[in-house]
Amino acid sequence: MIKTRGFHVALMSLFLGTLLLSPVWGQGFKPSRPVEVVVHTNPGGGSDVFARAIAEMVDRERLLSHRMAVANKSGGSGATAMAYLAEKKGDDHTIGFFTNTWMVTSLTRKEAKVTINDLTPVVRLILEPMIAVVKADSPYGGMKDFVEAAKKNPGKLNQSGGSPGAPEDLYRLLIQKTTGAKWNFISFPGGGERISNLLGGNVQLLMAQPQEIGEHIRSGGMRVIASMTERRLADLPNVPTIGEQGLDVPILDQARGVLAPPGTAGGVVRYWEDLFGRLVQTQSWKKYVAENQLEEAYLKSREVGEFWKKQGDLLRSLLQEAGVKVAR
Amino acid sequence: MALTPANLWWCFVGVFLGTVIGVLPGLGPPATIAMLLPLTLKMNPTTAIIMLAGIYYGAKYGGSTTSILLNVPGESSSVVTCLDGYQMARQGRAGPALGIAAISSFVAGTVGVLGLMLIAPPAARFAVRLGPPEYFALMILGLSMVVFLAGESMVKGLLATLFGLWLATMGTDLFTAESRFTFGRMELLDGIDFIIVSIGIFAVGEVLVNIESQAGAGLFKVPKGLRNLLPSLQDIRDCRFAFLNGSVVGFFIGVLPGAGSTIASFISYGIEKAFSRHPEKFGTGVVEGVAAPEGANNSETGGALVPLLTLGIPGSNTTAILLAALILWGFRPGPLLIQDNPGLFWGLVASMYVGNVMLLILNLPLVPLFAQILRLPYYALYPIILGISVVGVYSVSQSLFDVWLLSLFGLLGYLMRKLDFPAAPLVLGMVLGDAMERALRQSLMMSQGEMSIFVTRPVSAAMLLLAFIILMMPLVRKVRSWRAKAVEQEL
Repeated sequence: MIKTRGFHVALMSLFLGTLLLSPVWGQGFKPSRPVEVVVHTNPGGGSDVFARAIAEMVDRERLLSHRMAVANKSGGSGATAMAYLAEKKGDDHTIGFFTNTWMVTSLTRKEAKVTINDLTPVVRLILEPMIAVVKADSPYGGMKDFVEAAKKNPGKLNQSGGSPGAPEDLYRLLIQKTTGAKWNFISFPGGGERISNLLGGNVQLLMAQPQEIGEHIRSGGMRVIASMTERRLADLPNVPTIGEQGLDVPILDQARGVLAPPGTAGGVVRYWEDLFGRLVQTQSWKKYVAENQLEEAYLKSREVGEFWKKQGDLLRSLLQEAGVKVAR
Repeated sequence: MALTPANLWWCFVGVFLGTVIGVLPGLGPPATIAMLLPLTLKMNPTTAIIMLAGIYYGAKYGGSTTSILLNVPGESSSVVTCLDGYQMARQGRAGPALGIAAISSFVAGTVGVLGLMLIAPPAARFAVRLGPPEYFALMILGLSMVVFLAGESMVKGLLATLFGLWLATMGTDLFTAESRFTFGRMELLDGIDFIIVSIGIFAVGEVLVNIESQAGAGLFKVPKGLRNLLPSLQDIRDCRFAFLNGSVVGFFIGVLPGAGSTIASFISYGIEKAFSRHPEKFGTGVVEGVAAPEGANNSETGGALVPLLTLGIPGSNTTAILLAALILWGFRPGPLLIQDNPGLFWGLVASMYVGNVMLLILNLPLVPLFAQILRLPYYALYPIILGISVVGVYSVSQSLFDVWLLSLFGLLGYLMRKLDFPAAPLVLGMVLGDAMERALRQSLMMSQGEMSIFVTRPVSAAMLLLAFIILMMPLVRKVRSWRAKAVEQEL
């Protein structure tokens, strides 16, 4: 089957030429107008801030000749944004930024007519680690101390966090299950309230992403008692991981990445894979990741699809274990 | 720092834009600031925050305009302004109502900045100490304002409140992630936006009722002469207490993350009526009924910046996007922000004094101009009101479903007016319902179901006691009038 090199090249060019000429494949796609970037939070929410930061970096690094315009399709913990993206089927100038929330919503909300698996994976960009913090004058030196205290006074200690089924809630349920300790999870819709209730002493524990609470740690208002990661965080070398403290629970990183409407052509997906692939090589990106204590986690479309499936299965079993109703 | 020509110019741009989006219902400050954010990345950050903050407090000035003239609340915090403002407009006093709204906004806005400048750190320390039980008590206190909003029949007022509370339960249960009253519709997963209900009930309902009555033709009188188009000295004198009340209530409720300017405006309206010498006139077009809520929602801006700048904690959508902006500009919002960047903080504070003066100068001359809208014959005015309502609602989340909801609530507003149900308690129930339920359940989670948590914490106990006293007021009044009648009959 060994043929000459020239024949190979000819065959390849022929093949590529066909692809270029056939719009179905979308090969050679390049945006010809501003790109709409769909996020599921209101202006100022986590996903919104992330998308705006990326749009700004893409602009600064001149990776795209057109603007990226953030569209806030908030509501239903991602359900609205997913439905909106489904409506945009066939529009190559729309992409979305997904988070774990989209996966949890896909699993738990029967109203969500469109799930993340209906959409086209493009890239995964980062993983956000979580850390557990207490108020600076709290008696708990480590996560282990907190768990021991919760064991002695079941139901007396409180943790603030987001909605049930969020990673911080799943961590609580998992630790409770393995240790027999018991404490309360109090939902606050806004990240600010989670912080202010910890500082005000109404709750004793908070799990959050480092960039959300970094300034409170720096000012000495809060103290880190564990990192919910496999390895210690580079910025917090003295903080033991949850595993080091003898608490054996799976790690649930908050993933952020890009997806596209259902059935987006391969060539369009490859264009975005390539654009974000170049973005993560830039200085602006490296600086952003370091400043916000994120973990780089670039994956291409096919791997993102596998990641969704794996993460979805893990989340489903954890949610079921935790007693949260799973719709599909 | 704030007084360089560039900063003055951008401050003006901000307050001007703010006024415009405040006047237009629907599109609010968070969306506007988000849209402008990319443009600010190349600006000096102090200049940029001066402009964005200008949009934030400028919108509060503009919000009263459509409330007063057309009964269309421009922002959710201007719903209460409709009650007396629109009645004033019907009596030909649209000019004084708009004028007093601007003056009250100016006074309270300035007091809010003073508060931000002088007592920000202690106010923030106080605010974080309040937990869910205190929020619950605050919401109950807010709900007790129904006493002042109910009008003739307390039963109808309470029914309307209950309906509002029910509307607030729609959507996703925050604690169990269960859907409630969504009828399987994805659009209802987050419940119904408050602005749709208030525009529907107030504006659309009003139009429907007026179309029916032939009297609609000569509904508005617009007096000639500039003197009648601006508030008189007597009006301003009448509002002395309202200025103070609005300023103080607005600032302190603003400091609390998650409470919001709508609640502040309701509470200051209630306080105004409670301490008024002629409470029975509220709702018929008294000038204090405009001054108090408009003051409160402006002073709230200064208050809301307190937790943002001293702790990096946003209390509302608008402050959340300002927080995002600070991060994008390379600041690290948190307890050390002011210490690390004194120029930013003091520049902003100084610009807010200037901005409030600009807004007053900008808004007062517009008053006679805006008041002319009411000269339009009803066949031109009503389509305009309906058009503004539909566009405003659609612009919130670009959803036609919301426009259908608007029609539904317009119909409801019509029926309520026909059956003499007051609209304000419904809106009050809806504003407070969500936060109240959340605080109640958070509190009970903290206490493992013990109700005593509400009375063992002093701040919460005091607020509940106050709410109880307010709720008892109509009852006491009733008993007294019965007694008077009984005595009369015996004689």
